[in-house]
Amino acid sequence: MKYAFYPGCVAKGGCPELYTAAVKVAEKLDIELEEMSDVACTGAGCMPTHLSDPINARTFAKAEQMGLPIMTICSTCQGVFSQANHRLQDAEYREEINREYLAEEGLSYQGTTEVKHMLWVLFEDLGVDKLKSLIQRPLEGLKVSPFYGCFLRRPGPIMVPTKEVGGRRGYLEDLTQLLGAENVDISGKTKCCGFPVLTANEESSLGMVAKHAGESKQNGADCMVTPCPLCHLNLDGNQPRAESLKGEKINLPIIHLPQLLGLALGFDADEMQLGKHIVSTKAVNDKVDMLT
Amino acid sequence: MEVTYKVHREDPENGGESSFSTYQVDLPEDATVLDGLQKIRDEQDDTLAFRASCCQGTCGECAVRINWRAQFTCTTKIADVTKKGPEILCAPVRNIPVIKDLVFDMDKFTWDKMAAMKPWMEPEDEFAPTENLIPESEMADVRKTMSCYQCGLCDEGCAVLPVDFDFLGPGAMVKGYRFVMDPRETGARKEERLAVVEQPKGLWDCVHCYEANGKCARGLEPSSKIMEMRDVSFKHGIKNEKVARHHNSFINSVKQTGWLDERKLVMETEGLTNIGGLMKLVPTAVRAMTRGKMPGRHEKRPGADQIKRIIEKAEESK
Amino acid sequence: MPEYDVLVIGGGAAGLRAAIAAKRAGASVALLSKVHPLRTNSALSPGGINAPLGSDDSVQKFADDIMNAGDGLCNSEAVNALAAEAAREVVWLERVGVPFNRDADGRIDRRALGSGSVERAAYADDRTGHTVLHVLHEQFQRYDIPCFKEWFVTSLIQDAGACTGAVALDHRSGRIESFSAGAVILATGGFIQAYRPCTAAVGTTGDGLALGYDMGVGLADMEMVQFHPTVYNATRTALISEATLSAGARLVNAAGDTVVDAAGLSRAQLAAAVDKAGRNGGGPVSLDLRPVENLTSRFPGAAEVVRLMAGLDITQVPVPVQPVAHRAMGGLDANASGETSVAGLFAVGECAHSGVHGAGRMPGNTLTEAVVFGKRVGEAAAAHAKSAGARSASTDQAARDGGRLAEITSGGSSGDTMGTIHRELGEVMHANLGVTRSDAGLTEAQEKIRTLRERHGKLRVGNKSRIFNYALTSYIELGNMLKLAEAVALAARGRNESRGAHLRSDFPERDDTSWKAHTVVHQQDGAPKLDRKAVSA
Ligand SMILES: Cc1cc2nc3c(=O)[nH]c(=O)nc-3n(C[C@H](O)[C@H](O)[C@H](O)COP(=O)(O)OP(=O)(O)OC[C@H]3O[C@@H](n4cnc5c(N)ncnc54)[C@H](O)[C@@H]3O)c2cc1C
Ligand code: SF4
Ligand code: SF4
Ligand code: SF4
Ligand code: FES
Repeated sequence: MKYAFYPGCVAKGGCPELYTAAVKVAEKLDIELEEMSDVACTGAGCMPTHLSDPINARTFAKAEQMGLPIMTICSTCQGVFSQANHRLQDAEYREEINREYLAEEGLSYQGTTEVKHMLWVLFEDLGVDKLKSLIQRPLEGLKVSPFYGCFLRRPGPIMVPTKEVGGRRGYLEDLTQLLGAENVDISGKTKCCGFPVLTANEESSLGMVAKHAGESKQNGADCMVTPCPLCHLNLDGNQPRAESLKGEKINLPIIHLPQLLGLALGFDADEMQLGKHIVSTKAVNDKVDMLT
Repeated sequence: MEVTYKVHREDPENGGESSFSTYQVDLPEDATVLDGLQKIRDEQDDTLAFRASCCQGTCGECAVRINWRAQFTCTTKIADVTKKGPEILCAPVRNIPVIKDLVFDMDKFTWDKMAAMKPWMEPEDEFAPTENLIPESEMADVRKTMSCYQCGLCDEGCAVLPVDFDFLGPGAMVKGYRFVMDPRETGARKEERLAVVEQPKGLWDCVHCYEANGKCARGLEPSSKIMEMRDVSFKHGIKNEKVARHHNSFINSVKQTGWLDERKLVMETEGLTNIGGLMKLVPTAVRAMTRGKMPGRHEKRPGADQIKRIIEKAEESK
Repeated sequence: MPEYDVLVIGGGAAGLRAAIAAKRAGASVALLSKVHPLRTNSALSPGGINAPLGSDDSVQKFADDIMNAGDGLCNSEAVNALAAEAAREVVWLERVGVPFNRDADGRIDRRALGSGSVERAAYADDRTGHTVLHVLHEQFQRYDIPCFKEWFVTSLIQDAGACTGAVALDHRSGRIESFSAGAVILATGGFIQAYRPCTAAVGTTGDGLALGYDMGVGLADMEMVQFHPTVYNATRTALISEATLSAGARLVNAAGDTVVDAAGLSRAQLAAAVDKAGRNGGGPVSLDLRPVENLTSRFPGAAEVVRLMAGLDITQVPVPVQPVAHRAMGGLDANASGETSVAGLFAVGECAHSGVHGAGRMPGNTLTEAVVFGKRVGEAAAAHAKSAGARSASTDQAARDGGRLAEITSGGSSGDTMGTIHRELGEVMHANLGVTRSDAGLTEAQEKIRTLRERHGKLRVGNKSRIFNYALTSYIELGNMLKLAEAVALAARGRNESRGAHLRSDFPERDDTSWKAHTVVHQQDGAPKLDRKAVSA
């Protein structure tokens, strides 16, 4: 199994621990990664589509040349890619972009590149049985609140296009269970984390952090797990500010998806760089340490 | 068939505490949830308050949460909501102040927000003797958008409203879209229109969670409409200054290096003269540095020149 | 006490248009409505809004067609006004925002409503009423006119013979308040909820007709009740526009054979034909929409409402239909400026009888009527308010209405319910005052309505609150419908002929010697009295 690996800006910038963990975990799972280094940021939903579609078409064309599907580790990247790829299935539109923007570089996108988030790869390509066989440390007793955020689930017709992949609506819970941990449910697990409005309306953004993290804590979670580093930036990085806004302590560790996976695959907290988070992950480390 | 209604009650003249009343109702197989409510009011409890008007899914008046999902009582068949059990739970749409029982404050929920869109045209040639000549292809989307009931079901799903009730919400944005996309408003009017849509608590406060797409009673895809309006706003120049700074910074960063410089993004978004804004960021920055989390040096990527070329060309194309 | 030059009661298309016109004419205006304007009956009309916009059409042709459809009962002044001003109003609606469908030249497209008729209805898909109403409400907001929504008008104020205001109950606060005004416009819609089944919104209970009737205004041509020929009817109804018929839809029996050829039939004839075919034993009549090209893009509203209410897919199966009570032509006797016999009291829209529809309304003319007459009446009321000195200053009547509400809410249940009375009323109206009538049936109906009125008089409401007390307002509405039903039955029994929407099995012919006249019902000592009034040439 081999992928063109698109780590995204945040995993290479604000959340370096995500990159490290993802690479280590992939290796353990026999997923071969060839990193795409000469391609652009997706636009992250912050660029208008008339700018981002051409640069994303370029990325897809490069992967097509490599003959590989793309794997992402960020819901936002995945969401933007999926939507762009959806528009680029229109042959006329694709040709226009090839002609106007890609031809000069000798590139042309044929519309065949598949783009998958690591979470989907685990279930749809690697398979549950293989995954199970590699677990070395079932996370028994760990209470995890799965947090999807938005982009991995919506818009539904694009992110979950067919019945065959209907499971995407529950992969995160399935994975938590598969790794031996216990699911803690919150009402907002598929809601927004608030990151996208941080600039436009900070109070509202921090309010979302307080709501999701607070509810997880109240429901007894030891931590939240998320497939999106932007969710992580907000839920983890801004948790202290959300706490002071609401005047209450939450102090809930936020774990990246590959980190949780890594812990079950036998890596220790340092290898998964849990120490890099803003909210201390000590509670999680302690529980996991007891398991070994 | 025999069903059990469990209905939210709240009486402003009686302390405004909320509770549930339970009623047994015998209804025809093809009855709607509204039929049952009307029967209850007629035969069992005439104090029950709920709204309805057209009774055929065309006016948008009867939104209620049925088994916790917001929908119209007049088009929801009891047979469809009793598949898992004979109980039908009715509660007001969430996040809205309740006036009585299932009647909630539509002013705050919808009407005031719609009005904030300044939703009317004031054409200079209002009394011209003939109509505007417009190709059907340019009118169809506006017309479909105008089928919006202004029912507020999409607001019910919105991710922002629970944390910021003043957000104008997807319903009002759909109203804005109807004008932004109307070929009859051009030039200075279009710019004014965009400024209205981009007002604080408007277009840029949406978190593009795409929740509303799945909630719209008329399939109007409100979230997608918001994103389309953002594309238009980009082409006309973003009018919300802070957002404009953020986006310019973002695009410049990608243009220069092929990827995103988060550090600069934060600084430029706050505006270099915005001392108050910068001070707010300090605690996060300090915390981040002590954890070795502050993004490192921002290197130019291979391919960056091509990326710059493409973006610049696309910028010209608008 | 709030005071305005012009008080508009009703927030449908007619009321909104009148309020805008009065405001533009310089009057201070307020609008009262028992539901939010966007939730009114006007939102339900799919088909279109008539105006002679086509190059093959003219004001004269339009006027002639209306006179024809009216079967001898049209007032020509009203008809000419409608025909002459329709195009200007529709163009104005387009200018201020209605996204009408376009023809190949980018002009407002027109379509035929019903087979064989002229292509004269401008339309916005099959959501014309909805779209027009929303744009009128936009303009209403533009003029910043105070809107008292969810206020239920309980009575009109009369001072020295003139109407000088109204009393209303605020659903939200429970307050009863008097409004003082130089002129009052009733735009309260029709009374078709007196029928079961019917196509209209729940609030179409004839409140305005009853308010005017109580003040001495006559009710004209009340027997003229239009049935819509193509309505799905089960527990709930779903109306499908006749525009589908001119677009190729067929009326078929269970075997799929065409049972009614709609070509050239008026609405009343079509309703009668569908009704007859339904009784002929070939099974229920169905509307087969499958022959219509681009069905779901041309008629998205029909696809939606049939899916929601009937659970049927119009692209797959024919939809069972029957004629269902739809729209009354009768109403408060008024002239082409909306003036009634009471100074300061105006009527417009479905509650008014200006004689524009005569005995048979052309499909697509009510929306036109609402905007054309809305404008005329708004302006006339503004002018009246300027010249009229009289305004009410007394709040006595609010106190009196308060007392009446207290009396209504003084009881508990007695076994009988409003729902039962309403259902029995609707059934007798449908059966005996339906598509065809006879003296025996009408006599029976009169008797039934009398007993229903008695039963209603004995009923009391248990809910004593004033806040969103819909049981209380339903009580008043039901009383209004019973009162109007009595007038309908009286007028229908009086008119010993068949004309337009009024078909008598015992008098199948039109009788121009005795009945080329309007029926007018007045209230005398609490009882209805029937008069005849000449049709103004
Ligand atoms: C299903 C359907 C389809 C139709 N199709 C067509 C068509 O295709 N073309 C066409 O031209 N016509 C059509 N019609 C007819 C047309 O829609 C109506 O006749 C027209 O909308 C009436 O408008 P209006 O403004 O007079 O009254 P309405 O829209 O009924 O408004 C009445 C107003 O009065 C208010 N009101 C009533 N009583 C009180 C009270 N006591 N206190 C305060 N406020 C009160 C109500 O709240 C409401 O705001 C259709 C009607 C229906 C029901
Ligand atoms: S949850 Fe927020 S940050 Fe995460 S993908 Fe959704 S919008 Fe983006
Ligand atoms: S897309 Fe925006 S407006 Fe729509 S529901 Fe989500 S946050 Fe709310
Ligand atoms: S966009 Fe859809 S859900 Fe939202 S108010 Fe309009 S019709 Fe209702
Ligand atoms: S009552 Fe009109 S939509 Fe339900």
